[in-house]
Amino acid sequence: MLDANCPNCGAPIRFRSNDLPVKVCDYCRTSVLRTGGNLQAIGKIAEVPDDVSPLQLGVRGRDGAQGFELIGRVRWRYADGAWNEWLALFDDGSTGWVGESMGRYMMLREVDDDALAPVVVDHIKSGQPIAIDTLITIGGIDYAVADNKQVTCVASEGELPFNAPLGLTATSIDLMTPDGECASIQKDQGGEVEAYVGRYMSLAELNATGLRSFEGWPMPASAA
Amino acid sequence: MSDDALPADAAPPAPAQPPVAPVTPASTVRALSCPNCGGIVNVRAQGLTVSVLCEHCGSTLDATRPDLQVIARANEALETPEIPLGTRGTLNGRVWEVIGYMERTDEEIGWAEYLLFNPYEGYAFLVDDGRRFSLGIMLDRLPTMGWGNAMQLDHQSFSRFGDTYPVRVTFVVGEFYWRVAVGETVDETDFVRPGTMLSCEVYQTERTWTRLDLLDWGIAEKAFGIPARRREYSHPAPHEPSPYKRQLREALVVGVVALLALFVVSGIGGREQVIGQTTTDAVLDGPEKTVVIRGLDLPSARSRVVVDADAGAIDNAWVDLDYSLTDEKTQDSVDSYGLAEHYSGSDSDGSWTEGDPRPEVSLSSIPGGKYDLVVTLSAHRWNGGSGSSSFSMPTGFAGGSVFGQDSGQTIPVTVTVKRGGVFGGNIVLAFLLIAIWPLIVLFKQFGFEKRRMAPVSGSGGSDDDSGGDDD
Repeated sequence: MLDANCPNCGAPIRFRSNDLPVKVCDYCRTSVLRTGGNLQAIGKIAEVPDDVSPLQLGVRGRDGAQGFELIGRVRWRYADGAWNEWLALFDDGSTGWVGESMGRYMMLREVDDDALAPVVVDHIKSGQPIAIDTLITIGGIDYAVADNKQVTCVASEGELPFNAPLGLTATSIDLMTPDGECASIQKDQGGEVEAYVGRYMSLAELNATGLRSFEGWPMPASAA
Repeated sequence: MSDDALPADAAPPAPAQPPVAPVTPASTVRALSCPNCGGIVNVRAQGLTVSVLCEHCGSTLDATRPDLQVIARANEALETPEIPLGTRGTLNGRVWEVIGYMERTDEEIGWAEYLLFNPYEGYAFLVDDGRRFSLGIMLDRLPTMGWGNAMQLDHQSFSRFGDTYPVRVTFVVGEFYWRVAVGETVDETDFVRPGTMLSCEVYQTERTWTRLDLLDWGIAEKAFGIPARRREYSHPAPHEPSPYKRQLREALVVGVVALLALFVVSGIGGREQVIGQTTTDAVLDGPEKTVVIRGLDLPSARSRVVVDADAGAIDNAWVDLDYSLTDEKTQDSVDSYGLAEHYSGSDSDGSWTEGDPRPEVSLSSIPGGKYDLVVTLSAHRWNGGSGSSSFSMPTGFAGGSVFGQDSGQTIPVTVTVKRGGVFGGNIVLAFLLIAIWPLIVLFKQFGFEKRRMAPVSGSGGSDDDSGGDDD
């Protein structure tokens, strides 16, 4: 935890996690990079366009025994739509992502680099297309590729492990198993490949509380 | 150190924008104006919606852009969905809002699909085939291959319903989380079990699995405030459970119980009781002989009477038995006839025997009372299989089988009278009556299954002549 002031506007900003170097100032939307104790303004971030997502920063939830809080968000878009990735800070200090797409939620955790076979990593790095239904083994489990798309960052907010300005590009591959497990492989702008695994979960299964309320819509019983 | 990380009014030096903390609940609906016709377009799933079809002019708008860019301009009078856009309804305890509507066809039949939205639940589909509604949820896991062509999901097996077929969008209005366009075609493959369909749609590089659960009659209509559909089963949906299945099960259970009861009744009522017996000697080729069994008591209002004759010792001979059952009081009589016979011999195929030396005669529904049974017997010798041979008279040479049967020889015949017992014909009749209802339901069930499978069985395309045009 680090409490400081935005180097751009002076508003108080708080780094909840010591492992996350980037925080988008809530007031002036400046992306602030932390290096050791130094704070540096590294650019403006567009405001996240309003959407009807029930999630927001501060939403608390649980994945198994571990509680978490949403502390950051990146909004991505691709040719046929957009989705949110919410950064979850777990009670033990680790982080995960809640992917939110088409009204569905994926609770994902990053896996070790060696969980993905080097040949797969090389293939993805090469930029060659991967057909749907291709089986990819991550950490010993076979996942089928469900889609494969080029994505662009729209906006971001809160604390993040990387700077996510408008126009940041990535390749995103979604994968599924018959058991409701899912995975995501992302290649960032620098060509680095990371894999994330997890499950599709409903808001009730995530025990999500502190959800946004919407005019005329009853809050689900699980979130009360 | 509170969890409220955002100091709402901490007086920041130069807040360019206020912190995102809307006190009043946000509205999910955003009213925009159509860049083509200027009409109001209500976007109900802002941020998720990709395509909007203006309900006033039919133009396709790109909702991923803040200015709703026109993708396809149109100026058509649009038809209105039966359930208007924006209607809310509760299905299975969840509130859904209709935000999109499309009509699709497989080139033989068409149907309608409503896109439903709830900000906390995501999306669902309400599919209307014109008769019944199904609620569809996109699967977040993959079905696995089962036996044969079947698919397996949640320990349930879904059998494949026909081939993969193209499905084309013929009309669309409202908003969708993907890019929609009239004419767009996906390849669909269906797998069914009673009440549920798994539908696999492939479009370019995407494959989606949807689980469609058939809603009970009237549920969707009530939820969304439209007139209830009439129950009819002329063109069942592929995943429609047969309405006759339960009836059939009931009819079979009732039928089995009735059959068991029939067996028990015929077992109890079927126990026969001997009420009279006599043994007499019939003289072969001799004169007729008459014996009378008196005092046969039939206490029931109606009884079955069985007359058994036993001429067990005869061979190559027959005994004609005329029966007359006469009521001692009224002298009304019932006549019947029996034939005890037995023949044997040998020919090129070896030895043979024929005939029943113990005939049984049943008389049904005899009124109660005291009866006499008059039995008239006449016994005759049969002159062997080789009737034209000259062995007929020298009996000692008649193939040995007539050996010892001298003229004037007698055959002992025992006549036994029994009462009770269920008449076989009555049992058959009862059985048929019991079987009628299960059979009717069975035929109905077959007919339903035939109609349900008709889209994939009869209409193979080339064999129109064999399919029968009478639907």
